[in-house]
Amino acid sequence: MRPRIASLLVGLFGYLSCFSNPLGTSAVHAQAPQVGIGSKSFTESVILGELLSHLAKNTGAQVRHRAELGGTQILWQALITGEIDAYVDYTGTIREEILADVAREGTKIESEGDMRNALAARKVSMSERVGFNNTYALGMRRSIAQRLGITKISDLKNHPELQLGFSDEFVERKDGWRPLKEEYGLPHTRIKVMDHNLAYRGLEKDSIQVADLYTTDPEVKYYDLVALEDDLAFFPVYYAVVLMREDLTSRAPKVAEAIMRMQGLITPEEMSSMSAEVRLDRRQEAIVAGEFLNSKLNLGLSLPQEGRWVEGRKIIERVVSTTWEHLFLVLISLGLAILSAIPLGILASRNEALGQTVLGVVGVIQTLPSMALLVFVMPLFALFGMGIGPAPAIMALFLYSLLPIVRGTYAGIKQIPASIRESAEVLGLDARARLRLVELPLAQPSILSGIKTAAVINVGTATIGALIGAGGYGSSILTGIRLNDLSLILQGAVPAAALALVVQYGFGLLEKKIVSPGLQGS
Amino acid sequence: MFKLEEVSKSFGNQTVLQPTSIDFQTGKSTVLIGPSGCGKSTLLRLLAGLLTPNSGRVLFDGVELNTRNIMQMRHRMGYVIQDGGLFPHLTSAQNVGLMARHLGWSDQQVQIRIDELADLTRLPRPALDRYPGQISGGQRQRVGIMRALMLDPPVMLLDEPMGALDPLVRYDLQEDLLKIFRALNKTAITVTHDMGEAGFFGDHVIMLGEGCIVQQGKLEEMILHPANDYVTRFVNAQRLPTLPNARGAS
Repeated sequence: MRPRIASLLVGLFGYLSCFSNPLGTSAVHAQAPQVGIGSKSFTESVILGELLSHLAKNTGAQVRHRAELGGTQILWQALITGEIDAYVDYTGTIREEILADVAREGTKIESEGDMRNALAARKVSMSERVGFNNTYALGMRRSIAQRLGITKISDLKNHPELQLGFSDEFVERKDGWRPLKEEYGLPHTRIKVMDHNLAYRGLEKDSIQVADLYTTDPEVKYYDLVALEDDLAFFPVYYAVVLMREDLTSRAPKVAEAIMRMQGLITPEEMSSMSAEVRLDRRQEAIVAGEFLNSKLNLGLSLPQEGRWVEGRKIIERVVSTTWEHLFLVLISLGLAILSAIPLGILASRNEALGQTVLGVVGVIQTLPSMALLVFVMPLFALFGMGIGPAPAIMALFLYSLLPIVRGTYAGIKQIPASIRESAEVLGLDARARLRLVELPLAQPSILSGIKTAAVINVGTATIGALIGAGGYGSSILTGIRLNDLSLILQGAVPAAALALVVQYGFGLLEKKIVSPGLQGS
Repeated sequence: MFKLEEVSKSFGNQTVLQPTSIDFQTGKSTVLIGPSGCGKSTLLRLLAGLLTPNSGRVLFDGVELNTRNIMQMRHRMGYVIQDGGLFPHLTSAQNVGLMARHLGWSDQQVQIRIDELADLTRLPRPALDRYPGQISGGQRQRVGIMRALMLDPPVMLLDEPMGALDPLVRYDLQEDLLKIFRALNKTAITVTHDMGEAGFFGDHVIMLGEGCIVQQGKLEEMILHPANDYVTRFVNAQRLPTLPNARGAS
């Protein structure tokens, strides 16, 4: 029995490794360096990731683009653990998030030189600016701005009649509306708080005249808006820069060199127009990025034929493949949770103090935000080269699944009446036999309902797998949200809901089948 | 068969059984009687090894009960509680055969024994394949008795076995149970608070009060010659209309 379990685990481990690194170590491509590129889950970042990928691939390297990872911390972890070799981030983010700990320890992080030095200490090199600054700005329709003669934020002082509409995030931020109003001495008091996307419509319909925007938002071009000059330099700058592992220079010097061609490559207008092609014209990031490189650097990349996201065959393919990925996450994590949580629940039921401790710990795990849990478990798996992909997602799902099952087992055993317990004891059954023949069968409905709860929650929570490149329905949802594509969101959300119902129904059937009729229908 | 030597039991600082010695007669039926809280159930649980005494010894067949031998000893005791204490996830037959199967009896051996016991306890056959929740209280109690008798133990311990039954069902079962004890020559120790039941079952009746033996012997003796006020009050509390003398004796 034991060797079989061991070999099963080894097999699983191997499978997870393959999953996280499908490039493997095939002899055919022994000479071609393998390069990992990352991007965050917003369109601009994905386009930048595709640009890096094209540049690297063009040197003959094998490239894997880990697109749409769930946030700065995840990208950064992936970079320093070597899961990816390069990605594009922003100077403001590097200062405020990545180097926040360095700054707290007293090192001054202000200039880009400071950042470059601090990053070098972590074996990461930072490129020169890519060429655009993606920060907050105040925007107006070009026609209105021209008519009123407004070009910079200071000019708004003379136009108290203008209606301002901001996203609630902008109203709340410490580099948002309130300090901005103070800095510039703006007279406007009545602010409309609205969704970012609705603000663009508001500008178009003239129900507001000024809104907050990101300087490279494609809508800037689409609605023919102008970003007012920040003449008092109020907004922090977010210049795009490439972050790259230093060891890439020695491991794949040609790739490192190619990636650095990003420096000074993209103007704000070019970035915004690429984003517009993806978000507004629904074109694929890889093609948009490739065309840009072909025209700007004459790379002569051969690009695939245009294919829109929403096509019948693609939908089916996508749903099928994300279903497998999703099931993989759910089944493995749930299986492991069942194997550990039932013994934990039994243990908890045996000793009151231990029980309260176990229930407390698994309860606390349940309250951790999924993002925090992922960032916490990623470095552990990074030690085995599995920091990105299904392994950490499975670990997080496993931890989340523990509570319902432990509690179901604990409660199921605890609720057995004392008279039944004693009957089993005085029959002369030893403790193990009592557990196997009496306690577990009697606790079965409660254990099953714990597993059912865990499974249903798990199906929903597994969508977080997309944040760390584990695929599943979450990737459709994430991409759909990013591209504002309802069809794509539904391709993730509908199967996820359906799967949850199937799980619910399946457990109902299972319960009928395996729970003793003596315990049913009461 | 069963012997208590200066056995006492307390929970925290509350003493429920003062040091007590009893030598239960082999092959006879002894009834422990008394009001709630008198220590009679505690005494029975000490015999079954469900509780360990604070002082004194419990001897079974001359051997002191301890945590190592208790499992073996229990195979030689049948224990019946109010409402049978049946496992709700098993059918009657599975309840009865559980322990024997666990000890490795063959299906055939188990089946034969269950047949015998069903005859003995007059359990209707269809009840064997039903679950405890699907049969009557009297039938549940008969199944509980079958389960206790399965390994043919020399001793039967019964804790308020008729407590949950209505009078007619109770009457029939008492008759059957006594016949079984007599026929099989069992050492029976029954706990009850019902004088009628004590008189019907008990070759020997032991009345307990506040953790001590108050009086023991034949039931008639207790009624006609109560040892003290406590016994008188307990007897009178039963309101036995056929024995008006008992009232006069106080």
